[in-house]
Amino acid sequence: MGKSKKSVQVVILLAIVLIGIYAVATVVFGSDGVPKEGERAPDFQLLGMDGEVHTMSQYDGKARVINFWGTYCPPCVREMPALQAQWEKWRSQGVEIIGINVGENNMTVENFVAKTGVEFPILRDPKREAVKTFGVGPMPTTFFVTASGKINHIRIGELDLSTLDKQIEQLVNAK
Amino acid sequence: MSQGPKSQSLIQNTKCECGHQNPVGTVLCEACGKPLTEEAEAQPILEMRYDGVARRSQKANPGLIDRVWNFFSSVKVAIYLILITLIGSSLGTIFPQESTFLNIDGSVYYKQEYGTIGHIYYLLGLSNTYTSWWFVLLLIMIGASLVICSLDRVLPLYKALSRQRIPKHMSFLTRQKVVYQGAVEEDGAAWVERVKPVIRKKGYRVRTDGGTLLAEKQRFSRWGPYILHIGLIVFLLAVLARNLPGLHMDEHMAFPEGEPVHIKNTSYYLMNDGFEVEFYTEDDLPNEFKGRGKVLPKRFETQAILYRCDANCDNPAAEPELVEVTRHNIEVNKPLNYEGLKAYQFDYDLTPILRSVSPVLINRKTGEEYGKIELSIGDPVKEYEAGEYRLTLREYYQDFGLGDNGEPVNLSSRPNAPAYLFQIEGPDLPGEGIRYFYFPKQVDKERFQQDAINAQLAGGEVLFDLDVQGMEDVDFAASTTYLNIRVDKAMPFIWVGAFIGMVGLVMGFYFHHRRIWLRIDEGTLTLGAHTNKNWFGLRREVSAILKQMGIDVDEKSLDNNRGSQS
Repeated sequence: MGKSKKSVQVVILLAIVLIGIYAVATVVFGSDGVPKEGERAPDFQLLGMDGEVHTMSQYDGKARVINFWGTYCPPCVREMPALQAQWEKWRSQGVEIIGINVGENNMTVENFVAKTGVEFPILRDPKREAVKTFGVGPMPTTFFVTASGKINHIRIGELDLSTLDKQIEQLVNAK
Repeated sequence: MSQGPKSQSLIQNTKCECGHQNPVGTVLCEACGKPLTEEAEAQPILEMRYDGVARRSQKANPGLIDRVWNFFSSVKVAIYLILITLIGSSLGTIFPQESTFLNIDGSVYYKQEYGTIGHIYYLLGLSNTYTSWWFVLLLIMIGASLVICSLDRVLPLYKALSRQRIPKHMSFLTRQKVVYQGAVEEDGAAWVERVKPVIRKKGYRVRTDGGTLLAEKQRFSRWGPYILHIGLIVFLLAVLARNLPGLHMDEHMAFPEGEPVHIKNTSYYLMNDGFEVEFYTEDDLPNEFKGRGKVLPKRFETQAILYRCDANCDNPAAEPELVEVTRHNIEVNKPLNYEGLKAYQFDYDLTPILRSVSPVLINRKTGEEYGKIELSIGDPVKEYEAGEYRLTLREYYQDFGLGDNGEPVNLSSRPNAPAYLFQIEGPDLPGEGIRYFYFPKQVDKERFQQDAINAQLAGGEVLFDLDVQGMEDVDFAASTTYLNIRVDKAMPFIWVGAFIGMVGLVMGFYFHHRRIWLRIDEGTLTLGAHTNKNWFGLRREVSAILKQMGIDVDEKSLDNNRGSQS
C-alpha cells in the first residue's frame, strides 16, 4: 500500500470528521438562533429618540446594558429610575445604558421620556425586529454586554438599584 | 523472493503459479483467476464477488487509521448503522415533534397531552429526534460508511476489471456457474476467430489471445451501486447544508391587508393586497356539521404582491424603496414562488385592524363643521388644523386603560383602544385652549365615557365633537393573512442527489455485466461464463452461440453441477 493511498485515507477521514463536527455542532448549539449568555450579542439598527439611527457596533468598546421595555409593562416603568441612576453613576466609566422600546409609537415614548426624566439613550423597535434577533420573551429583559460584545448576563424581570449596580460592576470587571 | 518452509505459516503466500504477485487478501489471482485461498480452492463454484480481488482495507498490520477505515469499510457495520437509524427515526414518530408546533413549551405540553410517558419522551429528547446530536451523528456515520465502503471496493474492482487478462486458469473456467467443455475439431486460434463475430453480434466486446477469448458486455452496470452511493452522499450533504445561514428558512408571518411586510433576512417585502374567504353554506355542510353553527371556509385566497427593496432597506429613519417583482393569488396548495422564495397560505384572521380615522371637528351647539383631520393609529403626528382651530396632540394611547394609581396608561402595544388627548386652540377659546379626549371606536367612547371626561376637561360644557362621518373616513386592514414563508436553496442539490441515485439504480438493476471466457487446449474447448443477474439469459445466450458454431447443447446442461448430486 503506497504512501499516496494512506494520505488519501487520512484526507477522507479528516473531511468526514470535520463535516461531522460541524453538523453535530449546528444542531446542538445553533438550533433556535436565540443568543445565549457567553455568545456574541446580535446587531441592531434602530431609530433613536434623538432622530439618529443607532447600531450595536456603534457602542463597541463600551460595556452595554440593553434594556427592552414598554410603557404598557408596569415593571419596566418601575425600573426606569434605577436604570437612570446607574447610567448617571457608571457613564464616566465607559458603561452605556440603552433602552429599547418595544412596539410603541414616537409620541407615546416621547411623552414617557419627558414625564420620567430618562436621559439615557432610548431607541424604538416598532416592528419588533430587535426583539426577534435578541429572542426577547417576557419584559422587561435586560442584556448585559461586555466591551468586547459578549453577552455576560441576561436578566428577565424587574431590576432593583442594588442588583443592577452589582451586575454592572461584574460586567465592567468581566471586560 | 526466496521463502523458507516455515515462513509459509506466518506470511500468506500470495504469489500465483502464473507468476503474478497478488496483494494480501486476494481470493482469485488477479491475472489468471486461479483460486488462491484454501477456502476458494474448496468451492465447487467460485465466489466472484469483486472479482476475487483484495479490498483496500485488507492488509497486514493495520494501524489506527487503518482500523478506523476498516470499521467503516465493513458492510456489516453499515447495515447495523442503518438499522439503528431506522429504529431511532421511528422513535421520533411516536409523538409529534416539537418543530411541528408554532409555539409550545415542550416541558409542559407533552405532560399535558400524553401524560407521564409524554414527559419521559420529552426528557429523553425524543421530541427533537431529528435534530438531536446522536441522530445527526448516525447520519454522518452512515455517510462515512457509504464513502469508505464504496472506495474500499470500487477502486480495486475498477483496477481488476480494466486490467483483465484474456487467458484464464483452467480451474477458474471450470468453476464458473455456466460451463461447457467439449471437443472441437479445428485449430484453437481458427475456431476462436470464427466464434468472434457470432459473440460480437450478441452485443459483446470481444478480445482474443491466440486460442483464448474474453467477451464482455454492459460492464458499466457494475458501477451502478457506486453511482447510487454518490447520489446518496450528495443528498446527505445537501440536507446538512440546510443548516448554513441563508440556505433554509421556514417562518410563519402575519400580513395585515395593505401593508408591505419585510421578510426577514431577505431583501423582499410582501404585501397582502386583499384577502378573500368563501364559506360553505349550511346546505353544503356534511350532515354531522349541520345545525351546529359551524362555519367552515371553502376557499381562501391572498392577493399577494412581492416587492424587492432597492434602497433604504435597513435604514429605520427612511422609507424603503420598493420595486414590484411579482404578484400572485395565493391559495392553499398554490403558493407564490419567486426565485426559490415560497409563500404558502397558512391561516387568516378576519378581525379588522384600524390604520387611520379622519374625523371632522364640529361645533357641538351649532353643528358647524370646521374641518377634517387625519389621525394615524400607528404613529400619529403632533399638529393638526381644522379650519381656524389648531389641534395639538398631547398624549396618545394605543390601548387605553387606567393604571393602579388611576393614571391613564397603555395596556399593550396593540391598537386595541386608541385614545387621543388634544389641546384645541382657536377663536372663542381661552388663551391656552382646552383639552379634549377622543376615542375613535364607538365602544371605547361609551366604555370610558368620552363626553363626561371632556366636560370635566372643558370645565363644564363640551364644546366640540370629533366625528367620523362615514366609512370612507376610516382606513383599516379588513383582515390579516398568515403565510408560511419558505426558502430552501439546498433543494436543487437534493434533487440532483436523488437523480444521480436513480441513474445508479437503473444502471445496477436493469443492466447485467456478462462475461464469457473460453480457451481451447489441444482440441478441447473450455467455456466459462459469469453474470451478476439473470443466469437464464446468459445460459440461453451461450447455448445460442454454441449452436451457431455447430455445437448443440441443452441450456440446462450448461449449469455447473460440480459438487452437487443432481
